[in-house]
Amino acid sequence: MFNSKSGFLLPKIRTVALSVVMALGATALPATTQADETSCSPFTPLIMGQEEFVYVWTLGVEGVGDGSDKLVTVDVNPKSKTFGKVIASLSVGGRNEAHHVGLSDDRRYLWGGGLDTSHIFIFDVHTDPAKPKLVKVVKDFVEKSGGIVGPHTFYATPGRMIITGLSNNKDHGGVTAHVVYNNKGEFVNTVHIPTTEMNGVKGDGYNYDVAINPKKNVMLSTSFTGWNNYMMDLGKMVKDPEAMKRFGNTSVMWDYKTMKPIKVFSTPGAPLEARWSWNKGDNWAVTTTALTSNIWVFAQDMQGEWQAHNVGTIGNPADIPLPVDISITNDGKGLWINTFMDGTSRFWDFSDRMHPKELYKKKIGSQVNMVSQSYDGKRVYYTSSLLGNWDKKGADDEQYLKMFYWDGKELKEGFSLDFYKEKLGRAHHMKFQVRDMSKLKPLHAANTGLDSLSLVMRETADK
Amino acid sequence: MNFLRAVFARLERLPRGGVFSLLLVMLPSAGTVLAADSPGAATASPAVLEFVPPVAGTYELQRIMAATDGRVLDINGNTHDLSEFTGGKVTLLSFIYSSCADASGCPYAYVVFHQMQTRLERNPRLAGRVRLVSLSFDPKRDTPEVLALYAGDNAKAGRPVEWKFLTTGSVRELLPILNAFGQDVFLDMDPATGKHRGTYSHVLKIFLIDRARTVREIYTTAYLMPDMVYNDILTLLLEEGLKLE
Repeated sequence: MFNSKSGFLLPKIRTVALSVVMALGATALPATTQADETSCSPFTPLIMGQEEFVYVWTLGVEGVGDGSDKLVTVDVNPKSKTFGKVIASLSVGGRNEAHHVGLSDDRRYLWGGGLDTSHIFIFDVHTDPAKPKLVKVVKDFVEKSGGIVGPHTFYATPGRMIITGLSNNKDHGGVTAHVVYNNKGEFVNTVHIPTTEMNGVKGDGYNYDVAINPKKNVMLSTSFTGWNNYMMDLGKMVKDPEAMKRFGNTSVMWDYKTMKPIKVFSTPGAPLEARWSWNKGDNWAVTTTALTSNIWVFAQDMQGEWQAHNVGTIGNPADIPLPVDISITNDGKGLWINTFMDGTSRFWDFSDRMHPKELYKKKIGSQVNMVSQSYDGKRVYYTSSLLGNWDKKGADDEQYLKMFYWDGKELKEGFSLDFYKEKLGRAHHMKFQVRDMSKLKPLHAANTGLDSLSLVMRETADK
Repeated sequence: MNFLRAVFARLERLPRGGVFSLLLVMLPSAGTVLAADSPGAATASPAVLEFVPPVAGTYELQRIMAATDGRVLDINGNTHDLSEFTGGKVTLLSFIYSSCADASGCPYAYVVFHQMQTRLERNPRLAGRVRLVSLSFDPKRDTPEVLALYAGDNAKAGRPVEWKFLTTGSVRELLPILNAFGQDVFLDMDPATGKHRGTYSHVLKIFLIDRARTVREIYTTAYLMPDMVYNDILTLLLEEGLKLE
């Protein structure tokens, strides 16, 4: 992808079969079936079986190890002798406010962003998944995008990466855009978040996360806050009434094909992670609001118009539990919701998506941010860091990766890694990987291939 | 309605030869489709794309990347630069192998391409402006002779919408092309023997390329609707200044 030596073209290959095996990175290992985690793009091959590695995009902390941001690789294969251990740590040099990572549409590369520097780090995670390699650093994000700052979500589409910006270089506020790069790390285009009124709701131009439903040709985006706030000390910010006004209050439904907004929704209080239910036949999405502790579901009405529904309240909003990351089960029937301030993970029953109920909760640590579950939902992983300047102070500043087994009733700890003791830093976003990617398929390809073929056959006859 | 009966009936109207014999072999395995069409499954939601594609010419397709070049062989065994088949016309290109039996893979691409060819040829204004390219990633077995059989009448010279079937002289020549387009291909290995089973795992991708050899859209199984592909082709032709009426 980035060069012919990165895994494809090997010299002195004698037979066709052998050369393809070697050059395409396939191994003679037994196929590990399919795999995945529900936050991935529908275009990315998914791990439906046992994940073998967890990559943790980790913020460097002054005085901890080398003090730099790093990609930490943890072995999570239960058959491995190093299960639950750090097996690689790749420092990128310097502190960038490391935040989110995203896998490319071929799952060969992992893109990680720095919210402060706006640098983007592209790691090769297929040549040797146990030991990722930094292959490119994109430093032209602000310049190429026309002043967009803070690359947040990395959401793969075929041959490209949609990168949500959080801010801009004019006032470092929240008015921003989506920025598209191709898989070679080259700029494609910038798509601004609406700031005008649509359907009676004025767009605020803010951005955070995106999620695509290809069957409906729609993309949902949410909104957070700009550089001025996310780089400010949390204690200072909450005492600044003007700063607290500068949070996103909208979500936007887009036509994915044309990248044009269809409708702006009022979802006050910083709607964060966006997820679609991948259950076959489901076409609804969910987000939670950080400041108002609400759960919003997006679905079409009888006329086909997208509507947003406030369907639940998380904890006591007056306490500002600060809902952060969410993780939806593969059948869309359950949702993990983390609340940062009380360090608690909550499992909500979404069997009736318009009337979800909290069934279970467990304190994971003094603070908790990200949650990622295996495709089968039996393993749930947690990390601790929200933002470098928003994490708790002193003894409450626990930094960890923890894995729990989930039997549908209770979380039981599988392993725990102290990221300060390991001299790593603040543990933020996670992505899974396996050694053998040859059998992985995007969810929709696996589920709908025959259906799609039947459609085309019908169209062939009809057109 | 029995889905398979309907499919077979429609296949009767399609041209003989080529990959359609393979489709006939493959489709009986489509039991899940049959089940989905049965009365008992009537409440199941369709898994096909559920939207009306945007009107051609009302949107702009992204300029994703330059289409790479490389050395290829046509069905007569003649060597060409791949760029001969990606420039000057709007081109749909997909990577296939002739013995693929994955319903969501090559046969799917083949049916979509066939539909595109038939549909585009109905509009005389589009004659000579659009090209289809099927490029094999199995050069050992997909020789020019085998591809000629696979192509059947679709590759006949002089058609208003040409359909080129290409292969490469070796894996060494193929790999840089796959690499540049971002098309993954894995050998299916027998875990007992460690030998290649003869089949490949890949995620279907179809590349829409403009006349200046820039990739403007990439379709995958998760996002492939013939009506949408057709409108995208028209969008690129309108961008060139073509008057459709």
